[in-house]
Amino acid sequence: MSFKKIIQGFSFTLFFLALVWSPDPLLSLWPSDGFLRMDPIACLGTWVADRRFAPLLWVTGLILLLSIVLGRFFCAYLCPMGITIDFTDHLLLCIHHRSPNKPGDNHVNHLPSRRLKYHVLAFILGAASLGVSFVFIASPLCLITRFYGLIIYPAFTFLADMGLTALRPVADRVDLTAVAYAVVKVPRYDLQWVTFISLLAIFACGLMAPRFWCRYLCPSGALLAICTRRTILRRQVSPDCTQCGLCLQHCSMDAIGGDNKADGKAEYCMTDHTECISCLACVKGCPARAVSFAFVCESAHSHPGRLPEKISKGRRRIVWAGLSGAMAAILTLTGLKSPHSDPGPGSIVHPAMIRPPGALPENVFLARCLGCGTCMQACPTNSLQPLGVAAGLSAIFSPVITPRRGPCDPGCNACGRVCPTGAIAPLPMMEKLKAKVGTARLFRQKCLAWELQKKCLICDEVCPFDAIEFRKLPGQPIAVPFVNENKCAGCGYCEHFCPVRATPAIVVEPMLAIRLYAGSYRAAARERGYSLQLGPKTGVRSSVDSGLEKWYPSELDESGLPPGFTK
Amino acid sequence: MKMHQSNDPLTEVISLVDRKLNRRQFLKFQLKGTLWLAAGAAGLSLPGSLNAGGVPDISVVKGNPAAATRTAVELLGGMRAFVKPGDKVVIKPNMSFVNGVENATNTRPEVVRELVAMVKEAGASRVRVLDNTLCQPKPSIAQIKDACQVFNEDIIHALTDYSFYKPTKINDKWFGFNKTDVMKDVLTADCLIAAPTAKSHHATGVSLSMKGMMGLVFDRWTMHQQGLDDAIVNLAAFLKPKLAVVDASRVLSTNGPRGPGEIITMNTIVASADMVAADAKTVEMCTWYGKRFKPRQIKHIRLAHEQGLGRMDIENLVVKQTTV
Repeated sequence: MSFKKIIQGFSFTLFFLALVWSPDPLLSLWPSDGFLRMDPIACLGTWVADRRFAPLLWVTGLILLLSIVLGRFFCAYLCPMGITIDFTDHLLLCIHHRSPNKPGDNHVNHLPSRRLKYHVLAFILGAASLGVSFVFIASPLCLITRFYGLIIYPAFTFLADMGLTALRPVADRVDLTAVAYAVVKVPRYDLQWVTFISLLAIFACGLMAPRFWCRYLCPSGALLAICTRRTILRRQVSPDCTQCGLCLQHCSMDAIGGDNKADGKAEYCMTDHTECISCLACVKGCPARAVSFAFVCESAHSHPGRLPEKISKGRRRIVWAGLSGAMAAILTLTGLKSPHSDPGPGSIVHPAMIRPPGALPENVFLARCLGCGTCMQACPTNSLQPLGVAAGLSAIFSPVITPRRGPCDPGCNACGRVCPTGAIAPLPMMEKLKAKVGTARLFRQKCLAWELQKKCLICDEVCPFDAIEFRKLPGQPIAVPFVNENKCAGCGYCEHFCPVRATPAIVVEPMLAIRLYAGSYRAAARERGYSLQLGPKTGVRSSVDSGLEKWYPSELDESGLPPGFTK
Repeated sequence: MKMHQSNDPLTEVISLVDRKLNRRQFLKFQLKGTLWLAAGAAGLSLPGSLNAGGVPDISVVKGNPAAATRTAVELLGGMRAFVKPGDKVVIKPNMSFVNGVENATNTRPEVVRELVAMVKEAGASRVRVLDNTLCQPKPSIAQIKDACQVFNEDIIHALTDYSFYKPTKINDKWFGFNKTDVMKDVLTADCLIAAPTAKSHHATGVSLSMKGMMGLVFDRWTMHQQGLDDAIVNLAAFLKPKLAVVDASRVLSTNGPRGPGEIITMNTIVASADMVAADAKTVEMCTWYGKRFKPRQIKHIRLAHEQGLGRMDIENLVVKQTTV
């Protein structure tokens, strides 16, 4: 077990456990979005898109500063994407023989230019400069969090559930109740094929070259590479080098060697520090033990790295990439579903776009949302789902409450607590209760009570906010429901439990949702005249509590019968 | 003159003939006669107690909930009359709500504990206290679970996952509510005991043993679509608990099933081998929304009675009342 694998194993375990398990003792030490916060492009891209994000930048700043000293250590040791790619590359080697690295590989194997990743970076920053975040497309941590949270974890639980189902009869027979009554909740997520295929494509690129993503595409890698041009921890090759070339074969980043032999140094002595991830594979693989890593302050004798030969052309391309990012942003902003449209008449809000409680105003929310899926993973009722293209391409993978799948539990504020960028504000419970996400709307034509005169009061029974009122109307044989929009928080219990299929008779829409950038939701709710409260029905007094007054329903009909009684 | 005061119909007739009849008196007389005949017919068509040998149909016991539960079941012949040694028993209390005992929405933990103890004493091989809770499972069953810690066994479960249910045909009807997903534990049980708490219900008037059976199926929501009262009777006919013990120690008289509403302290436990009779007795005994009601005013009780599932005519049944 090499040093690298131990650190990788530790990082990955921490990443995965914090993401899917998130038990309290672990969370007090390590947040479930800890790795996402370290991702340079996620933070920088979000900061450019929403300048007020600055206070959360310090972790990334620290990583970038450390990489000036230690090189791209993040890629080799911390990044779960890199760790996963190392693993899948290993798997791919078993099924597909790949020719080892050779100097000047790029021309031979038709591999893209390494500068591609700078273009991706420029594209994202260009779009972000106009307030549109495309971070979710290429941030390695977003991609991999989505993969583990929304694909791998559900698959795990599915298998665990199958296993339990198989075990249950046996456990029941031997009276092992802990197993017989154990339940594994299998979460389900939308867009699973999109998530899966995009990651599969990234992994499959390993057929062309190892760590293909890290070498050619990763914008975070590009940012780190910029910082590591003059890194201090460097690969050193002693004169014992026999020019065998094994180090290059071991180097997954193809960072060794160069075409430039002008200074008379042998090519395997040269290192491209912007590409080197300090994984130490070359040290381990050198038969002559000629390779080492050491801190070198400045460099008369060491190779400065493989700089682009035609600097002007490279820069021009980067500018073009940035401009195309800006163009993409303009395309997004001029679309019908633009999140920046003015409020009021003319603005379009998709009815399914019920954002989680505490979500910032839509344009800021989309600028900050990474689409990483951490909130969806953390949602205990499986209500938060990735949105498709309903709100435009830039909003794909952003979270929406899906009451039909699961209601938003009033006693839970998990999504806000785990959001890495604060797109969903981390609200304390008292604030969260007042963060109205929408309003329920009745479809009388589908309602059992309204349309079919059947006794159904499930929506009232399950409503935690007591926002449903049953009234006896003249001409109606039974009491029928009404929604009190001032009491409705949009939690969706009514929609979730409504027995009417397929479209429920009561549906939550993002109507009247409170979206604040800053300030108190309590104050905002009070200002707008909402009374969002859990529990006891107002005006109801128990004779036990007050000892004075008894409460009888106002909806007694002409015959004086209480609800549910017949003559 | 003495004869005139008699209540005997024959003497009344004679006395009426003695005097001159006016029209009003004649009509009164006829009506009375009809009522007497009807009462007689009812008495003929409906048998009295089904149980011979001094065992009452319904026992109503006042007192401390745990002690009253025990006495109520003992009056019916003891738990051994319902549970044979080696039986698998499922007890279905109300434990759907996170509210505590003070809200009277869940069955009192002492009642459940006493029932479990009695079932164990009767030699059951396995006892489970099960419900498909409306609210979050863990906090809903917490109080009952705490009370049953004494058995040192994992008895109380809130089964909200589909894997614990099995699609089951509950009757041979061609349409309507004829199949649903029933708890596997209930399907394999030898004895089902209903242990509801007495409370009012917005849609069905009251929620007692029969209504409580809805907590043993997975999708109770669609039952509303089938016509709730019919669906309740269909389901209760299939599940049919052998013993119903209604916890009327504190009755949620208004605004059930969730409350909060008016809570009346009755300190009473009603038990019967006939769940319809137990429900009917509870309806008749308690005040609902400040008024008294007849069992037939609860539609699902009336339907169950009409379908022969049990009896709501408690006036014809042997009710044994006592206080502990």
